[in-house]
Amino acid sequence: MLETILSSIFSAGTFNQMLRSATPVALAALGGAMTEHAGIMNIGMDGMILMGAFFGVLGSWYFGSAAAGVALVLVMGVIVGLFFALFTVKFRSDEFIIGTALNTFALGLTSFLSRSIFGTGGTKGNPALPTVHIPGLDAIPFLGQVLNDNSLFIYLTWALVLIMWLFVYRTPYGLWLRASGEKPETLRTAGVAPERMKWLASILCGLLCGLAGAHLSLGQLQGTFAEDMANSRGYIAFACVIFSKANPAVAYAAALMFGFFDAIGLRLQEYVSSDLTGTIPYLITIVMMVYVVVRSRRRDMRAGRRLPQRQG
Amino acid sequence: MERLKKRNWGYLVSLALSVLLAFTIGAVILLAAGFSPLRAYGAMIDGAFSGARHIGDWLEYAMVLCLTGLACVLGSRVGIFNVGGEGQLLLGAIVSCQVGVWLGGSPVWIALPAAALAAMAVGGLYALIPGWLKVKVKVNEVITTIMLNTVAASLCQYLAKGPWKNANKNMVAATAQLDPRLWFHSLIPGSNLSTAIIAAAAITVLTWYVMQKTSTGYEMKLTGQNPRFAFFSGIKTDRLVIVCMVISGAMCGLVGMFRVYGVEHLYRSSISNQYYFEGLTVAMIAGYEPVTVIFLSFFFAILKIGAQGMELTAGVPNQIYLIIQTVIIFCMAAESGVFSSLRAGSQRKKARADIRRKEGRDHA
Repeated sequence: MLETILSSIFSAGTFNQMLRSATPVALAALGGAMTEHAGIMNIGMDGMILMGAFFGVLGSWYFGSAAAGVALVLVMGVIVGLFFALFTVKFRSDEFIIGTALNTFALGLTSFLSRSIFGTGGTKGNPALPTVHIPGLDAIPFLGQVLNDNSLFIYLTWALVLIMWLFVYRTPYGLWLRASGEKPETLRTAGVAPERMKWLASILCGLLCGLAGAHLSLGQLQGTFAEDMANSRGYIAFACVIFSKANPAVAYAAALMFGFFDAIGLRLQEYVSSDLTGTIPYLITIVMMVYVVVRSRRRDMRAGRRLPQRQG
Repeated sequence: MERLKKRNWGYLVSLALSVLLAFTIGAVILLAAGFSPLRAYGAMIDGAFSGARHIGDWLEYAMVLCLTGLACVLGSRVGIFNVGGEGQLLLGAIVSCQVGVWLGGSPVWIALPAAALAAMAVGGLYALIPGWLKVKVKVNEVITTIMLNTVAASLCQYLAKGPWKNANKNMVAATAQLDPRLWFHSLIPGSNLSTAIIAAAAITVLTWYVMQKTSTGYEMKLTGQNPRFAFFSGIKTDRLVIVCMVISGAMCGLVGMFRVYGVEHLYRSSISNQYYFEGLTVAMIAGYEPVTVIFLSFFFAILKIGAQGMELTAGVPNQIYLIIQTVIIFCMAAESGVFSSLRAGSQRKKARADIRRKEGRDHA
């Protein structure tokens, strides 16, 4: 019994599922890393993902091609990013209020438009993003099965992780971005307006979260939209950002961990109720948040020990 | 006192302007989606005020918004954001329902208090987890409460489908029905309004009294505004934050019980459709002021019931309600920002003019 469970858990199918579940979270986390570096607490990612998922399907349905859907998502991503920055950067509103309101607004808008346009809360069977077959990869026994024949955006995400990492840590813009969050006054003294970097971060976040949503609806679910389909992924992405200290590569690893537990949950459905296994990734996210705090505290204690003891 | 009055007027004006603007933006969205805004808003007013039934539904929903909004205020007063009210509400609903089913044969005066206690205990304990993590481990409560919402919803789904499911096979994901003796009496036949509103009114007054009129309320305010100062002036801030969070959770659990015993009479997912988030939105618009929350919940309940009527008669999806509600928040958030940037602009202009005048004098 245990053997069959274990062998089904550690099969190629599970790791493939891990990759699929992780990708929307990872894309959103890449966006969240940008705003986090710019010093904006962004809990509005859930709404951004939901808008991406809806407008992707809308474009794909209206123009009859998934590429047009993605194009619409990119336009909307920029608009949402500008909107978010207008409030958090220009008007200096409470980030918590704006993030929560954005999530509720996205839920209302997408459900309203879906019901007005499609007549119901959802739609399916619209033109979807293609899967990519890499010839020759199948020759590798285990990895081939895991890595080949996935939706386009899974490969795009790898490229984006690399690009964003290079952007943040290897370009002057990345340096300015990090400075705009950590030491805005220093950046201003150096002649760069921190607000400008915050606007940029917000737009990038809108774009990447939009892509996350597009992958969810057009890639993973093959042209399907359902109400509230982001399903708290934006918050999980936020947890990944905190966990990784906004390092894109580590954030991707954290998203993979989320994907792994999600995949295990799906595997265990044969034995336990899916309602129970579905909670695993969310519980893991809480554990992750606790671990982040414990880790930093332990680091502080170690640093404290290294300092010379002050005698009264 | 004078200043307080002035601030209240300012708030009312900005609220009225925001509501007006939100309805205008809502009209634009309605037009874009191919509906006539005039017909839609007309149907909304009809839906809200036609017949006693709608008034009953309105008061019941106002009760839900008021209690969830106050639960949110209770947390944010001391600086902890309870975003997990939805989960606490659902757990309170299902547990109180099951307690009622178990105690179906016992007298009402035993069964009802037991169910209420169970609802409060479950909601409070479920809020204790993020509260304790926030205070003792310093984990961001927004993420933990959101995650716990999803966990609670799945857990309730599991219980309603599995161990506690209804014997009737046609009822998917619902618990057994309560004995009719235990139902809260309906106040307006055919509507959702039940005697629960009396209990809700008592809780509302009590919460308002504690927050605005007692020293505990003052300590809460101090803790939220300046935790360090509050701590050094001898307030046990950690304990206060946890207690407030637990009470906030208990209130949400109780709302779940009111929904079960007053409206649905069994647990199913229609007990709450993200109602806590609507209460949270009301609390935000009210600027976390208890009295404002009470008044605004009546206003937003009218909107909601009107929107539901509008969906039936004019065929406009009722989600326009969520859009209008959030646009009001955006407008109110924008307003202070716009004014402060305008003020900065006019000050800059004035300073420039001053310099110019000074230079002119120097030349002369």
